[in-house]
Amino acid sequence: MLPKQPLASSPLTIKPLANKPLANKPLGNKPLANKQWRRFRAIRRGYYSAVALLVLLALSLGAELLVNNRALVVSYESHLYFPTYGAFLPGTTFGFDYAFETNYRALAARFAAERVAHPNARRNWVLMPVVPYDPLESDFKSGVYPPYAPSADHWLGTDTTGRDIVARLLYGFRTAMAFALLLLAMNYVVGVALGCLMGYYGGWFDLLFQRLIEIWSNVPFLYVIMIIASIVVPNFFTLVLVMVAFGWMSMTWYMRTAAYREKAREYVLAARALGASPMRVIFRHILPNTVSILVTFAPFSIVAGITALTALDYLGFGLPPPTPSWGEMLNQGTDNLNKAWIVSSVVAAMSLVLLMVTFLGEAVREAFDPRKYSYYE
Amino acid sequence: MGQCCLSNAKPELSRFSSISCAKMFAAAIASSCLLLSACGGDASDQSIDGVSRTPIIQCEISNDSLKGNRVLPITLPGNLIWQTNVVDPEFTDPLAKRGGVFRTFMLTFPMTLRRVGPDSNGAFANYLRPLMMGTTQRHPNTLNHMPQLASSWAFGADGKTVYFKLNPKARWSDGQPVKAEDYLFAVYQMRSKFIVDPWYNDYYTNVLVDIRKYDDYTIGVAGKAPRPPDEMLEEYGVTPTACHAHKLDANWLKDYNWLAEPVTGPYTLSRMEKGKFVEFKRVKDWWGNDERYYRYRFNPDIVRVSVIRDMETAYRHFEKGELDSFGLTLPDLWYEKARGEVYDNGYIGRIWYYTNSPSSGNGFWLNMDDPLLADRNVRLGLAHAMNFEKMIATVLHGDYVRSNTHFAGLGDYTNTTIKARPFDIAAAGRYFDAAGYSRRGPDGIRVNAAGKRLQVNVSYGNKIHSDRLTVLQSEARLTGVDLQLQLMDGAAAFKKMREKHHQAAWTAWGGNNFVPAYWEFYHSDNAHKVQTNNVVNMADPAMDKLIDEFRTSTDKPHRAELAHQIEQRVFESGALIPGTNVPYVRDGFWRWLKLPPFHGTRLSGFAYSTGLFDPLYDGLFWIDADEQKATLAARKSNTPLKRINITDTTWKARGP
Repeated sequence: MLPKQPLASSPLTIKPLANKPLANKPLGNKPLANKQWRRFRAIRRGYYSAVALLVLLALSLGAELLVNNRALVVSYESHLYFPTYGAFLPGTTFGFDYAFETNYRALAARFAAERVAHPNARRNWVLMPVVPYDPLESDFKSGVYPPYAPSADHWLGTDTTGRDIVARLLYGFRTAMAFALLLLAMNYVVGVALGCLMGYYGGWFDLLFQRLIEIWSNVPFLYVIMIIASIVVPNFFTLVLVMVAFGWMSMTWYMRTAAYREKAREYVLAARALGASPMRVIFRHILPNTVSILVTFAPFSIVAGITALTALDYLGFGLPPPTPSWGEMLNQGTDNLNKAWIVSSVVAAMSLVLLMVTFLGEAVREAFDPRKYSYYE
Repeated sequence: MGQCCLSNAKPELSRFSSISCAKMFAAAIASSCLLLSACGGDASDQSIDGVSRTPIIQCEISNDSLKGNRVLPITLPGNLIWQTNVVDPEFTDPLAKRGGVFRTFMLTFPMTLRRVGPDSNGAFANYLRPLMMGTTQRHPNTLNHMPQLASSWAFGADGKTVYFKLNPKARWSDGQPVKAEDYLFAVYQMRSKFIVDPWYNDYYTNVLVDIRKYDDYTIGVAGKAPRPPDEMLEEYGVTPTACHAHKLDANWLKDYNWLAEPVTGPYTLSRMEKGKFVEFKRVKDWWGNDERYYRYRFNPDIVRVSVIRDMETAYRHFEKGELDSFGLTLPDLWYEKARGEVYDNGYIGRIWYYTNSPSSGNGFWLNMDDPLLADRNVRLGLAHAMNFEKMIATVLHGDYVRSNTHFAGLGDYTNTTIKARPFDIAAAGRYFDAAGYSRRGPDGIRVNAAGKRLQVNVSYGNKIHSDRLTVLQSEARLTGVDLQLQLMDGAAAFKKMREKHHQAAWTAWGGNNFVPAYWEFYHSDNAHKVQTNNVVNMADPAMDKLIDEFRTSTDKPHRAELAHQIEQRVFESGALIPGTNVPYVRDGFWRWLKLPPFHGTRLSGFAYSTGLFDPLYDGLFWIDADEQKATLAARKSNTPLKRINITDTTWKARGP
């Protein structure tokens, strides 16, 4: 008689889907993480939102290859040029008479004309990106005035300065996401570290920082931004720094509570008994056990980051012109409501992205809900 | 009287705005009741149709009431040569018809009915101030002075005093004659601390230093510095205030907040409802009805100004026929919104009228104390790097005109030989090369031998200009210069520039002065100092010499010659890159509004004038009641009438 298979001693050690392919277990052999991942995947709209966002993010990172007025490849006099990245190529490179950057759309038109004129000559050609416009470039037409309505050239039309809206949306998305992610990371570094220290040490350290945070969080953030924006041109990093200066507080409260709670648990006592330093206890033992808080809050922080940047740009206190930004487009759109393509493009893009991030956040929260998967006695 | 709007921009006190309307109203009622009892219940105090009038008190001002520097002779000098102007052409239409109601709008209700003091410098001042006439006024076409309340004038031998004989026909709107005391009182009031208005306090103490009554209808005025005659009339002219209507004490500010004072102009405030509208009624038997230059003007009986808080909504009211005219100068209105059936059917007419009025300077002001911009080659290179031609042809619909000099439209003073430097990549390249920025970096921006990028920070304070500057920015890249745009809050941008923290400041100066103010902009007295208008930090001994001479000379042709030389030096220094100018007004108007055959004047839309259909300052148009009936009937039956589309280029680029 075969011996009975031993029962699992605790749910934590069960690997019910151990025979599934490895692809479904991106977090290796950590069973809890594995379950959370599968649960996340089961929430379809959250999962697909995550996939879509990642694709969008990847596309926006390579935006120069998709939306750009620099050609992808130019073949000129048997030489291949790849102008997308790197130093600019002056017009003289391709036989124009000017020293500033080559206009590649004009170059393509010239080559096409040359092919018609001399069908047997050596073939020069230009491969342009899908959208051959730069987000900072005004494309004026003679006799008509911007903004131009959507057309075959400009799929979503142009803004009031004749700049392509698709280009500005994509580059604006990249700026907004980079801003939100950087803001998130920096807020978390400060907030988590301070919160954990407050919770772990308690006592006067905790009291002091609690009061400091209460005072600091009463400083009206928007006024500070307005004052700063009136003194210096806020660039991307100063804006992130100012936002971090006023944004790190909320995370401290959660981390402080979590650290307080974890501090009393046996594994912490054990670590301390073994002689682990407070820093090691906090960052090697407590922090990994509170990671679900961080992960749960992250998507919502991203939403907040994107919204904050858009709002600041809308009010004119954000990134300086001509940086492509959704807030600036929103501002233009509301000033030109009769040119509906401006406002509808940016509102649609923004709603879609925020909706997807929110779906993602919901799914993460659901998947990490401790009521389902924490088994403390 | 000329003044620079920007330097005169008085910060409105926010604590006043926080007081609720109800409280203000209560205060006004309470104060008018107090006055009522104090003055024995004169009928003029009572609030009729929402308007409370100033009380009638005894005027007790005399020559002895005024303190300060009494420089005027005690008796009128005997050798004065009195002059007047009855030879300039009239600019009115004898066919104009009286009557009707003219309906227009304002965006906010005024915070006070006072002309001076806190909160008085808002948009409503454009309605109140024209109704208070002065001694003389510039003829809007010849720019010579013409009589207003003074019928003739004479100049003292010292070059800084002027004497006025007052028109004895002139009456206040309450029927009292306008006498010399009213002029003394005006100066007395403007010097008073009770009005809480430092700008006027200063002007009537330090610019205009003395005033004296010689008889009921003769006064003398003395200024601080000598001026050519026409500028003295302007700078040292006085607008009288009805002495019998003002009890000037510590309560004046509060008591007179909502009281309508007597005026000398053709209309008086007749009805109002706070937050809703104000109505002006033509003064019965106005004293100016038959005066040369004033007859056939100010034709509607009633001018009704309603509050409409949003431009878009106001335009819809206009299109429905609830407003009689609408300013269409902005390209967006003229080209996009003001189109359609009401225009095609001729119910609403469109007029584009070119003017030629003074301009006080706009463009890029380059700070020559900045290490980069201290190099003249960089400044001249920048001037050639600005593609104003493209900016005008694209985002400005080809409408605006390039400015060539700092001051323009000032008649003889304007130097018309100077032409602003055009966009020229090769020329810009030569200057930048000479400045050492001869190599292009990987992003196409020039760098010098030390690796420093050719980057210029442009600060500006108006969101509307972002589009225009973006065009200049992308074109400037072609020449290898990187313009960094810094949009700031308007007041902050202005402060930054006046504290000389800018590199290039993009701004326009306000003002309604007919004389160029070179000392404040280019004299070394004002260079390298905070809070002065020499924002380019020009400190040039040769320039100082010209300006000093300009300031003390009283010979106009010589001054004009000096002005030309000063502008030439400004041009050669490259400290200013002149911007654009809007040399016209555009209006839409319902068919029943009629204009004289010449439509407007050289100065239409300048100073207090709101355009061709300005009711209280220009007052050239009239309402044709028959045409109104016919138009409304045609509109009802949808019958097209002859389209009205007028372009008048009479004053287009006609000399300086």
